[in-house]
Amino acid sequence: MKPPPFDYHCPETLDEALALLAEHGEAAKVLAGGQSLVPMLNLRAVHPEVLIDINRLPGLDHVRIEDGELRIGALARHRAVLESPAVREASPLMAAAYPYVSHGPIRNRGTLCGNLCHNDPASEMPAVALASDAEMMLQSASGARTVGAEEFFTGTLSTAAGADELLVEVRVPQAPAGQGAAFHEVSPRKGDFAYVAVGAVVSLSGGACSGARIVCAGVGDGPHRARAAEDALEGAAPGEGAFRQAAAAAADSIDPGEDFHADADYRRDLVRSLTRRALADAASRCH
Amino acid sequence: MTRERHYIPESRQREKPKSKYFAIGHSMKRVEDTRLLTGSGTYADDVSLPNMAHAAVLRSPHAHARIVSIDKSKAEALPGVICVMTGAEAAEVTGPCADFSSPPTTQHCIAVDKVRHVGEAVAAVVAESRYIAEDACELIEVEYDPLPVVVDLEEAVTSTGDAVLHPERGDTNVALQRTITFGAVDEDFAAADLVIERRLRWPRSGGTPIETVGATAHYDRGTGKFTIHANTSMYNYVGWLIAVSLKVDPHRLNIVPTDAGGSFGSKLFCHKVCTLAGTLARAAGRPVKYLEDRIDNMTSGDAHGSDRLYDAQLALKRDGTMLSMRLKVIDDYGAYFQYGVGQHGNAMAQVTGPYGITSVEVDLTAVLTNKCQQGAYRGFGSEVGNFVIERLVDAACEELGLDPVEMRRKNLIPKDAFPYIMPTGNMYDSGDYHAVLDEALGMIDLEGWRKKQAEARKEGRYIGIGISTCQERSVFSATEFWMWNPNETPGFTLSSSPESVSVNIDPTGKAFITLNAPFWGNSPETMAVQVLAEKLEMDPADISVGYADSDKGFNSSGPGGSRFTVMIAGAVSGAADVIREKMLRVASHMLEADPSDLEFRAGSIGVQGVPGKEKTLAEVALHAHYFRLDLPEDHDLTSGIDAAYVYDHPVTTMPSEDRSDLGIFYPIVGHMCHIPVVEVDVETGKVDFLDYVAVHDCGTMVNPMTLAGHVRGGTVNGIGSALYEHFHYDESGQLQNALLSDYLHPTLMETPVDIRVGHVETPSPFTEYGIKGGGEGGRMGAPPAIAAAIEDALKPLGVKVDSLPLTPKVLRGMIREAEANGGG
Amino acid sequence: MTTPRTVELVVNGERRAADAEPRTLLSDFLREGLGLTGTHVGCEHGVCGACTVLVDGQSVRSCLMLAVQAEGSEVRTIEGLGGADDMHPLQEAFWEKHGLQCGFCTPGMLMTAVELLESTPGAGMDEIREAISSNLCRCTGYQTIVEAVQAAAERMQGEGQ
Repeated sequence: MKPPPFDYHCPETLDEALALLAEHGEAAKVLAGGQSLVPMLNLRAVHPEVLIDINRLPGLDHVRIEDGELRIGALARHRAVLESPAVREASPLMAAAYPYVSHGPIRNRGTLCGNLCHNDPASEMPAVALASDAEMMLQSASGARTVGAEEFFTGTLSTAAGADELLVEVRVPQAPAGQGAAFHEVSPRKGDFAYVAVGAVVSLSGGACSGARIVCAGVGDGPHRARAAEDALEGAAPGEGAFRQAAAAAADSIDPGEDFHADADYRRDLVRSLTRRALADAASRCH
Repeated sequence: MTRERHYIPESRQREKPKSKYFAIGHSMKRVEDTRLLTGSGTYADDVSLPNMAHAAVLRSPHAHARIVSIDKSKAEALPGVICVMTGAEAAEVTGPCADFSSPPTTQHCIAVDKVRHVGEAVAAVVAESRYIAEDACELIEVEYDPLPVVVDLEEAVTSTGDAVLHPERGDTNVALQRTITFGAVDEDFAAADLVIERRLRWPRSGGTPIETVGATAHYDRGTGKFTIHANTSMYNYVGWLIAVSLKVDPHRLNIVPTDAGGSFGSKLFCHKVCTLAGTLARAAGRPVKYLEDRIDNMTSGDAHGSDRLYDAQLALKRDGTMLSMRLKVIDDYGAYFQYGVGQHGNAMAQVTGPYGITSVEVDLTAVLTNKCQQGAYRGFGSEVGNFVIERLVDAACEELGLDPVEMRRKNLIPKDAFPYIMPTGNMYDSGDYHAVLDEALGMIDLEGWRKKQAEARKEGRYIGIGISTCQERSVFSATEFWMWNPNETPGFTLSSSPESVSVNIDPTGKAFITLNAPFWGNSPETMAVQVLAEKLEMDPADISVGYADSDKGFNSSGPGGSRFTVMIAGAVSGAADVIREKMLRVASHMLEADPSDLEFRAGSIGVQGVPGKEKTLAEVALHAHYFRLDLPEDHDLTSGIDAAYVYDHPVTTMPSEDRSDLGIFYPIVGHMCHIPVVEVDVETGKVDFLDYVAVHDCGTMVNPMTLAGHVRGGTVNGIGSALYEHFHYDESGQLQNALLSDYLHPTLMETPVDIRVGHVETPSPFTEYGIKGGGEGGRMGAPPAIAAAIEDALKPLGVKVDSLPLTPKVLRGMIREAEANGGG
Repeated sequence: MTTPRTVELVVNGERRAADAEPRTLLSDFLREGLGLTGTHVGCEHGVCGACTVLVDGQSVRSCLMLAVQAEGSEVRTIEGLGGADDMHPLQEAFWEKHGLQCGFCTPGMLMTAVELLESTPGAGMDEIREAISSNLCRCTGYQTIVEAVQAAAERMQGEGQ
């Protein structure tokens, strides 16, 4: 299990990196943390002609709050994000989800942006990004554009980023004051990708739930937003009854795939129970 | 030689258990550890020879197919490639792999004409680096003609035509079918008030150590001799069979053992990797290293564990007295049959468990399917038997409304019944099963947990307590490998499975022990040192240990079947007697005293009853090495102090001709009681451990710390088998989880925080110091106890556990069904 | 460029250089290029953790990093920890608590624990369990590994005071 041969470039500036991407396009893979790409190389599941290693690009490892947004650069490692007070302040949902993301040594290398670009359907962070209306700041040699999470995740291991584009930063709007967040997951083992994960945020105004967001991972070809469940909750009094109703709606909203780890019925059961648990926790954290 | 039925040979025990030991029984830090802790071990991949090349194999993507053609021209043209071999080319110079089945099943180190499972080698490349070898594998073009695929073990029974894997063995995938009856089964069933029936499924899992199998081979053109460095075992027992495959005389093959990064049975022989590396080295004209990568190991490592479907019956009296069992079992052996049904020979050693059951019938059907073949995994088939009988016992308790603890207490063989001949003819040497049960109950606070369970149920939480009382047969004898074979073709009916060591005392009085079997991850060096220190009252720090290659080694079967500590204790003890005798003889001259008046004192030999009149071992050793001729005339007394000793199995008898009596073949029998407490999340199907008690009786403990290590490690293997691990083949024979990301070893977070280990010591009357084996017990006791605990937790829902592993999906599915049926 | 290049780095405090193709994994580079075979390779897809080493003070899977990426870095492996005569407190504790059997996962376990105890002196049970859960051990059942790290943490705290 050794990688196939490839040309390797290690640009020192963003412009250089974008020029290489423009030149090689589909034939190239971007190497950031490498925690998903290198296993695929070792398994020879991918045969890129060119690897563009962005690890030496300056100024892309930031995790900070700016203009009411949490801004996380392309080279911010999971560990840095996990440990950042900015994340706990601006995105309680991301903070709640992070303990489920892999293990220490993987977090030391892996990057949040790389994780989003990989878009494994069982991965936590795409779901968090979707729930949070995150915006992906894409750059290419010919310009920059911003893509919302809703449009960014296009299917299993696929995103809206073009072959010549680099995700240089993800921006997550600061969570509204008083909003509660929770993330629940069942995975084969601690640190594995999820069978199913559910993230929920909810606010309470005048004794009623409002502005809930409910997202699932592990239920299809990418992160899934359970809008019917969110709608069911809008204006409802928080409590077991409302959460159960929303959980049922969430379970009905998915059309999960099946593999030997988990079948569709199991995934639906998990969405139901984890949604209920996540909502109860999120509501209890509203202030 | 015919013996009377149930004849028990006289014990050959020379060292009786003692009330006070010098070195045995101490939790001594391991001798093996300093090199392993500093990165200085030499594992299979750490061997490097001058001018060494590297091999990779091209694996079959098909489960069953004819190989129509192989075009290797592009691979051969790749710079850095030294040679590419197909199976047909390899078969011109190398014969089939070693195989112990009868009639034999032919397996080649590279498939010839036909592939029989996904991952089977189709071609091999030798190149300047492993990277280039793998590049070249991608350039080999193979045309396959797919054949019908057999993956279901019941369907395999009726396969015909092209679905038959080995037509030369007959037009069937049934590799062996035989029914053996022991005792008055029909009468016992007729006398029963109740017959419990369960259909039980034990899943295919495997030892899957973190280190894969590897070999570095060199063929010396000048001498025509192979040297193969490998993490294999049994190289001083049946290693010569690899020479047979390589078509050289056995003395033209030297196998050099490396450290093994875990085995759990899976590295019992590893002859295929050695044969392949040898074949490639001879063809390449250079030393070649072949190390399985993870996918090679999982798909083609020849070490998958038992994969069985049981229709099992237990006959009882209404008061709970167990009478008899009928077991109908199909076992999925995969594509080859290297050890025959050795795993079922093994299971016959303790098929009726620790209970006073007097008869049993076993109807065995071994089938071949398009999967990686079976090998050995911690328990070697007996762990499945434990699961089956304990499930039956729990079912009987449920049916009869009896308490699982009292039911066991009633049926456990009493301590005054040993040595006990169980229905198959095997002997249980000794035991105090009730003491083990009581020790475990004393550790667990059953009443407290029952209270917590009741409170939790009121809150909708599901806590369960399980119990297993199981046997751990130890110290295998070779007859288990062939006793099931057809009477007309019994195969190679070997009867010896010895172990040997040699001991040298250097001129300064320090000792060197040479073992003839490898380091497998257990503690052979520590065991040997503690026993020798005991015998010679030496400081353990003055003893070191090495490993003989097959050029120099004596007959040694190696670790496996929880035999190694017992067997090397016998061998060390025998060698030490020779050493003692010689040292006493030398000292008697030096001290001018009769040898019978001398004694070993810590580090010295002295005259009994005369304090101060003594010589240190160093003085005696120096004298023996360099001043022999200063001593008085003493016929046969030669310079130096050295001994080699071959220790045969302590107590074996042969099976009867008709196999109604299998003889004594696995007689050093330990016992265990496991009591886990679990909580099941009924919504997610996840299982958590709240407590875990494991009490083992392995006779005299040589080192309580390392024994506890085996118990805990084995228990976690058992947790894997019960809850997480399963080689999952889909309908087309693709192995869905050949990576450690999907084949789920428990991590720390899946294991109990504290597996509380207790010990009872019932010494064996047949082994040196009364030691019994304890290497496999954890995995043999955990699965039935965990199954019972989960069933107990879900009792309000009426969920029954009949198959493993209880993955979250499976468990949640069972709960969902129970809920739909009105449970809960 | 697929052609080999020279990778220069500091390994266990020593400046080292050797050639590597861009695709050469750091694990293979350490083992074959630099002869440091104490770092073990178990799965080559980042799950088992046997190959864990420290790069610039942080634990990484050396099978998931290219050697060329370690250019200019400071790498620590088991060989830098301590020998039989000058064991690190973690090595001593693993020995005393029987935190290893076959020893194959041990270098990865030790380096993972080194990172933990250097970054979080006096790490508690939860932190130790979290750290050790990243690596697989097939022999011990983990319990004695946790006990060993706990013991070493206490010893190192004591020495630090």
